[in-house]
Amino acid sequence: MFSDTWHLFNKYMTITMRMPMWTLFTLIQPLIWLLIFGALFGKFVQTGEQNYVDFMVPGILIMTVLFGSSWSGVSLLREISAGSVDRMLVAPVSRVAIVLSRVMHSAVQVLAQTLIILIVVWVMGSTISMNPINVVLALTVIFLLGIGFAALSNGFAIILQREEPLVMIGNLMTLPLMFFSSALVPTEFMPKWIQLIATVNPISYAVESVRAILTTPIDTMLFLKGFAIMLVFAFATLAWAVNAFKSLRD
Amino acid sequence: MTKLAIEVSKLTKIFSENNKAIDDLELKISEGEILSLLGPNGAGKSTTIRVLSTLSGFDEGKVLVDGIDVDTDPETVRQTIGVVAQQTGVDYFMTGRENLMIQGRLYKMKKGDILARITELSKYFELDKSIDRLVSTYSGGMRRKLDIATALIHRPKILYLDEPTLGLDIHSRKLLWKYIEELNTKFGLTILLTTHYLEEADSLSDNVAIINEGKIQIIGTPDELKNSIHGDSVVVSFETAGKKEKAYAEQLKQNGIAKEILWEGNNLHLYVDDGASSIPQIMEQATQNDIQVVTLSLARPTLDDVFLKYTGTSMVDNGEEEAEEWWHQWAGKGGGGNWKEWNEDDSEEGSADGENWGGNEWVNSDGSAKDDAPKDDTTEWGGNEWVNSDGSTKAAFTEAEKPATPTDEKSDEGKEDWEGNDWVNEDGEQKGDWGDSPDWKGNEWVNKDGKPKEDWDESSKSNKS
Repeated sequence: MFSDTWHLFNKYMTITMRMPMWTLFTLIQPLIWLLIFGALFGKFVQTGEQNYVDFMVPGILIMTVLFGSSWSGVSLLREISAGSVDRMLVAPVSRVAIVLSRVMHSAVQVLAQTLIILIVVWVMGSTISMNPINVVLALTVIFLLGIGFAALSNGFAIILQREEPLVMIGNLMTLPLMFFSSALVPTEFMPKWIQLIATVNPISYAVESVRAILTTPIDTMLFLKGFAIMLVFAFATLAWAVNAFKSLRD
Repeated sequence: MTKLAIEVSKLTKIFSENNKAIDDLELKISEGEILSLLGPNGAGKSTTIRVLSTLSGFDEGKVLVDGIDVDTDPETVRQTIGVVAQQTGVDYFMTGRENLMIQGRLYKMKKGDILARITELSKYFELDKSIDRLVSTYSGGMRRKLDIATALIHRPKILYLDEPTLGLDIHSRKLLWKYIEELNTKFGLTILLTTHYLEEADSLSDNVAIINEGKIQIIGTPDELKNSIHGDSVVVSFETAGKKEKAYAEQLKQNGIAKEILWEGNNLHLYVDDGASSIPQIMEQATQNDIQVVTLSLARPTLDDVFLKYTGTSMVDNGEEEAEEWWHQWAGKGGGGNWKEWNEDDSEEGSADGENWGGNEWVNSDGSAKDDAPKDDTTEWGGNEWVNSDGSTKAAFTEAEKPATPTDEKSDEGKEDWEGNDWVNEDGEQKGDWGDSPDWKGNEWVNKDGKPKEDWDESSKSNKS
């Protein structure tokens, strides 16, 4: 299974490296949000002693993950209709590897994107922690969230089998989940009912975990809580997607 | 006794309550044999291939591939087979070599072995000069060759080819036939082929199985199948196939002139003992019944006659598979039902009264000819050229009637236009780069030397429809 995953992952990385511009294009939207929201909300959102841009950077990193991984299923559908998936399925390849390689590819791609965002915000003067250990820990949470959302997208792709509803689900997964989380504003700033939604929204835990490890004061417990939730989220969604893929045999 | 490569017994696959994709199918293919599955759209050809290649499950029956049960041991079956599906399946953003390498890796081959095999296959398929180019730069024929090479990377014993030459121009198609034949004769591969091209099945296959409604209707060598229709085949075409014509056909059968009659649109297929002596009788009966015959042709029965007999439809009418297949993939899955509905609606576009295209003209939903069809513009294929209904040579083609070009790829480029009687480039100059294919010049197909082309094959003729 691991060798199959590795070979297929390499295949997807080769294709991505042939068109690196597409990976960079997905960075434009989070960066625009950072500039616009940073300028708009910075003056009136109460974030304690923290600079609003510093507060917002973890949210933008998570947004990059959502925008980068929530459409992974679209390319799966294209591979199915192009016959590439059948070509894999007629070979004695692990079915788990087919899903895992795609999901890993998406997660690695968003890792690269979030690293670029981190460099950009550092250049812009953000004071978030650039300690390599803290950055690696934050990237671990980001990686797990990327796995989770890419798995969800692939799972929905197999169930829905059409691009249009998948894109609709992708939109539903990204923006509302962002706004119903503490990515852009602190929980205290939200009305009660949004606070309630935010407590069951995995994005909130990912954002708070990344914020806890990248912004002062560092809160290890809060980071670990988010990490554990992301671990469960990634495994659960991956198991669901693999199960959906196994049922693809008509 | 020859060992069986594939043994299928009582195979049934049910898609829904009233839709059996495969119905009690029986099939035996010996080692080293090429068997072609011929059937109309939705007959169960591709589903059978999918079951045999472990891509699809089934409800009843037993399927042994190289003696291995596909249901209980699919992993071992996958090592034994190579599959070339309708969609090419190769990745366009990878080179030919990378495509072959990844497929070899998925078969757990060692890197050195894969590299040696890539050299061998790329040389054999004449892809060695382009093997390190991105597949997106390949022509359709090259992609198909790479596709077959990818299916052969692990040296399978059995090869499934699902419409391998679909969408290819005549030249590429014939080149692929050479490879397929060699793979069987030189390398001993057992090949199961589905095809829409009768000539392909006829020239390549040891045996042909005609499949319809999920069942094998008849199986045998191409000659056996053709001989199963004794005597000669006479095709009589009418402007309309009305009550008078139907009664005339019945009369021919009752008089013993025709042993069997089959209708295909306005064409009446008569199977007679001796064509030469029957034709005068057929014409005499027509005159007596005051029936106008548009064209009449005599031939030895072809696989198309066999196909028509067992499926009730001509192979020539089944050319829409290319356009339909993609939608069929989606219809019935997820929200895809709507596509199917749309597709059916589209087939009746412009026919509020529910008319359909029946063979050579629009017919009403009950199958009778539509009275207000534009009769004076009716053209027929008469031997080597298009003729009007009165038998005269058709002098000028309207845009809608222009024949298909001999090379599909060229016509798809969108750079040439049909102007008058010639294909012209965007700049209006006559297009001259047809490669080795024959040209359409004036009103007939000509060879490169300008002489009229006489050696028509089935696929060229089908351009008329």
